Amino acid sequence: MAHVAAPHAGPARWAWLLLSFTRREILTRYAGSVSGLAWTLLHPLAQLAIFAWVFSAVFRVAVPAGYPGASYVAFVAVALWPWIMFSEALTRAMGSVGANAGLIKKVAFPHSLVVYAAVLAACTIHLAGFVAVMLALRFSGEPIRLSGIPLAFLLLVPYMLLATGLGAFLAALQTLLRDVEHVVQVVIMIVFYASPILYPASLLPAAMQGWVKVNPLAWYSERMREILLQGSGLVAGDAVMALGCIAVFFAGLWVFNRLSPSFEDFL
Amino acid sequence: MTDSLIRLEKVTKDYPKVSTSGDRLRTLAALLFRSREMPHFRALEDIDLEVVRGQSVGIIGENGAGKSTLLKVVAGVVRPTSGEVRVNGRVGALLELGSGFHPEYTGRENIQLSSALMGLTRREARDKVDTIVQFADIGEHIDEPVKHYSSGMAVRLGFAVATAMEPEVLITDEVLAVGDESFQKKCIAWIERYLAQGGTLLLCSHSMFHIQTLCSRALWIHHGRVRQAGSAFDVTREYLTYHEEKSGREQAQARAAFGDGPRIAEAWTERDGGERATTFRRGEALVLKGLAVEPDDRPPVLLFGVVRADGTRVYGSHSNERGFQPPRMEPTRFGFAVRFEALALLPGKYTMRVHALDAEGLRLHDTLEMDFVVTGETRDYGVVELPHEWRHP
Repeated sequence: MAHVAAPHAGPARWAWLLLSFTRREILTRYAGSVSGLAWTLLHPLAQLAIFAWVFSAVFRVAVPAGYPGASYVAFVAVALWPWIMFSEALTRAMGSVGANAGLIKKVAFPHSLVVYAAVLAACTIHLAGFVAVMLALRFSGEPIRLSGIPLAFLLLVPYMLLATGLGAFLAALQTLLRDVEHVVQVVIMIVFYASPILYPASLLPAAMQGWVKVNPLAWYSERMREILLQGSGLVAGDAVMALGCIAVFFAGLWVFNRLSPSFEDFL
Repeated sequence: MTDSLIRLEKVTKDYPKVSTSGDRLRTLAALLFRSREMPHFRALEDIDLEVVRGQSVGIIGENGAGKSTLLKVVAGVVRPTSGEVRVNGRVGALLELGSGFHPEYTGRENIQLSSALMGLTRREARDKVDTIVQFADIGEHIDEPVKHYSSGMAVRLGFAVATAMEPEVLITDEVLAVGDESFQKKCIAWIERYLAQGGTLLLCSHSMFHIQTLCSRALWIHHGRVRQAGSAFDVTREYLTYHEEKSGREQAQARAAFGDGPRIAEAWTERDGGERATTFRRGEALVLKGLAVEPDDRPPVLLFGVVRADGTRVYGSHSNERGFQPPRMEPTRFGFAVRFEALALLPGKYTMRVHALDAEGLRLHDTLEMDFVVTGETRDYGVVELPHEWRHP
């Protein structure tokens, strides 16, 4: 079985196509809305405001001792943005094949591009929001270490590869099985509350402390705080976690590419 | 060595049957672990096809025969279950309506996306935009979202995009049927020029006229298999014959009687020499013969008309126009014959209609139709050959 479609199909061609897809992904999400891209920042800000109010004013969660001078808002914001980036990259990637069914059924191109585009679009939007929020917090006197931002970005790379791998896997599964989406929505919510994003890992019961070490969401949330609020550098665990994420990325892509020739049959 | 652009060998395509969730799970497992055990139905079976540079091949067949699947296989959108597909060269595929357009995007933005999908660089794409906009000719709609387009407008844009890419192989799936008359002509003119310049075409159409005018070869797909492959004229003729047989003899001899005026008792076409026939070579003589019944025993006025299969009226004439009075063969029965010397009709399928009018030639009483086919090969266009000669001015 061989298919030599377009002999000139090189990486450069796909790079531009990926760029157009990403641009399209960012623009269509807000095409038709009046305030456009402002929503991308407003939505997470609203979430942050709700969490901050519920947890600091109602439940009165105290910021743990390790973060001197930081308010609960800063404590949550540092971990919340990467989480939003992750969950949105994941769900967008999962839905990307279905959303581009019209193209996949009519035009020959590597289907994985739509998954990458979904992740890239989510990253672009939320990285910008992340940096803006960090700057805003810094100017309002929170002890955000702006010098940690490059390192935080570096750690986000394997984190997003994880989202891509999982997203690709789920996108392929969703195309064939249809009900994956609903399951994933629930799982994402459970994982969000089970991970130390709104609260410090130290509050978790002793039996669940091991979970923090292997759950990448917990790991990266804690690491973001350590880097941006405590000034931590790279640790050995980062490399182990990155390897794990990269493994998931390739495994997810393997499944995706295995199933992608059949997408057209199911769309 | 021939310059083979498309080569399909024993291509088979199975579509999974996924009516139950159990089917879906079984299919998933089969795909992941590369086993062949999955519920399926066969859309294409053992298709062989070779298209060399400069050839134009028409794909015909009934609805659901597998034509679109075949084009999708060639376009690279569908991977065959087994068999080999080789396509060399830049393929421009126009599969169905609004091929690969994003509904939320304006026409102009879709042009850019399509250019990227078809492998143009950004600069090439920018240069093409004006040509495409001009060809599509949809005015200000080009800056509106494609979801507001009519199907005709979407096809115009699609065709404009596919052709602007100057593909080495152009694949179109029944798109000529959608645009309006003037756009169809524009498309056909474009394809003719493209073919004249050595382009390669794979055209799927239900219009035998388009297949005959644009394609040199044709492939008839029947229930997923190749039923016939060969010259476009032969294959389309066989295909039409098949449909004729399918719809039954009665329809071929459809008749509608009005009141108890004159009737056409029988009519047929024959060659010189009296052999009845429905297939004539171009330039051959055709004789229409028949018998009319007039209850009042007055000679009726007869009218014949030639109609092309697509409904185009070619020619018709009254018997009293030429001063012909049908001879009385026996009481109430009148015979007639019309001889067409050197049939000027271009190859294709036609219907001969004979009508009986009352003796005054005022009221139409009866109609008898019979189909006939004109064979031969030609690069002429239109319906009939007009006598002409090329001269030095």
